[in-house]
Amino acid sequence: MQAFGRIKRIVTAGADAIMVYFDGANLDEANDACHQLLSAIDIRQRESQISKGSKANEEDASNSWYWLREAIPSYDSLLIIFDMALIDSHGVYRALRRIDIEGISPHVNVAKLSGEGKVIEIPVWYGAPNASDLSIVSKKTALSIEEVIELHTSVTYKVYAVGFSPGFAYMGDIPEALKCARLGTPRKRVPKGAVAIADRQTAVYPSESPGGWNLLGLTAFDMLLHKAEHSKSRLKAGDVVKFVSITEQEYKAGLQVEL
Amino acid sequence: MKIEVLSKGLFSLVIDNGRVGQQRDGFCESGPMDSNAYDWANFLAFNLDGTPCIEAIGEVRLKVDEDCVIAVTGRESTLYVDGSSREVYQSQAISADSTITFGSALLGSKAYLAIEGNWQIPKVVGSASTVVREHLGGLDGKGSALKDGDYFEVLANTRIQNNAKMRSLPAHHIDDYGFLEAIRVVPGYQFSNFSAVAVRTFETSTYTVSSAIDRMGFRLTGEPVASDIEDMRSEAIHLGAIQVPGDGQPIVMMRDRQTLGGYPKLGCVSPCDISRLAQAVPGEKVNFVFQHEEEARTDWLLMTSRRRRLQGEIL
Repeated sequence: MQAFGRIKRIVTAGADAIMVYFDGANLDEANDACHQLLSAIDIRQRESQISKGSKANEEDASNSWYWLREAIPSYDSLLIIFDMALIDSHGVYRALRRIDIEGISPHVNVAKLSGEGKVIEIPVWYGAPNASDLSIVSKKTALSIEEVIELHTSVTYKVYAVGFSPGFAYMGDIPEALKCARLGTPRKRVPKGAVAIADRQTAVYPSESPGGWNLLGLTAFDMLLHKAEHSKSRLKAGDVVKFVSITEQEYKAGLQVEL
Repeated sequence: MKIEVLSKGLFSLVIDNGRVGQQRDGFCESGPMDSNAYDWANFLAFNLDGTPCIEAIGEVRLKVDEDCVIAVTGRESTLYVDGSSREVYQSQAISADSTITFGSALLGSKAYLAIEGNWQIPKVVGSASTVVREHLGGLDGKGSALKDGDYFEVLANTRIQNNAKMRSLPAHHIDDYGFLEAIRVVPGYQFSNFSAVAVRTFETSTYTVSSAIDRMGFRLTGEPVASDIEDMRSEAIHLGAIQVPGDGQPIVMMRDRQTLGGYPKLGCVSPCDISRLAQAVPGEKVNFVFQHEEEARTDWLLMTSRRRRLQGEIL
């Protein structure tokens, strides 16, 4: 499938899915392009749900989007899962081309995505005993532990995507010098609140789960907003975040507040 | 009608079709590991597609306090009512105060129990499916697996007549769960970053299902396959994606997989074979064969139209 517009590459992701990768001068732009296309798809899907059942839809599957089962964005990619009984990958491709021709709807709020909000501070107890790969990171990056902490807290990060688990926000980019590969074998258990890095990304584990990232410490900052029967992510794509180093005592005091 | 859990088995969950459209917020898809068996169970118990079922590992014992119709399906599944054996893959009329015992004869495989009627189970983030890790779904809505002494209500379905014809799937149409046939894989994602040697190795080697298998993923062991990717950006993962971490041992991503991940992926298990693989138990040997996406779609269309015809004949 030929790339077009701000799409860099389209590859197969299964019998009923394709993966779309986006281009841009930097990751920020690619990420914005991804969210623009997603918003355009969302608008078309809502429109086809409203007009569901009309003859026109049945005649041209690629003109309405009722075959769309799931669209999952990430940093610079969008996974599109379709109903195989209603369309094939070529039809999905045609539908994407049509969006390109029609243009992205003006309703799409790009300002929200470029991170104009205030900086959210996340306090971290670096080197917490049950969540520390600091010595491994130090070895991988040839930096001292103090330098690792200093670098991690030195810049602000943009939230590029939410996923992996509920409330898990992927943030970037960490300074080049801090870049380090994931663990060869993922951990079976990472504690809630673990602050971690992998490649140029950083994140906080919102709940206990398996994971393959290098752990730096713990935070009491809750990544999920809990309300009666619903939970939602505290951070959204586009938010700006800064990590701040705190002591064990401050972390424990923070846990009391969050509870 | 009250259903009481007398014995929960090893690990049993309430599941339905799963959480559709929520993956972008980080909520996993969930749903039945063996969707073929799940669909048959509901069909045979006169339920609509997507009605909750119990997915059980180990032997589960339940008590019902009213007459009802049930069906049990799954790999090497078994069913006993008050101690006497009953056929699986059939509608079974159960009388009030009976004890139902069901499970799979293979330790680690899943059996499905459908009970005719409306299950009174809360939907959380759009689904009743239990995800223990996310504290979502199940009887309490908080992600608890079934416990001894749990109970729930299934309301009688008024659409079904008392003399409704019992349904039965002929034995030769029951899914074949063996691994004599290779598991079909559609090449995709970072496929082009794997060398020809790695691809060949993957296709010609036999992999063993390890003991690290759960609703998130199935870890396999065997000849390592490596890609030339050292690091990549996390991206969305579809059901059946074959992820290869640094140690070169493939992991097939299952229903409760995380929504995004950053390990290179070779491709995706065909939707026709994912139920079969999901029923594998530790120690079993599996082979893989690559298949073009269009061929995989054709196989899936044939499989679903065959099932629809079969259901028409059974009615």
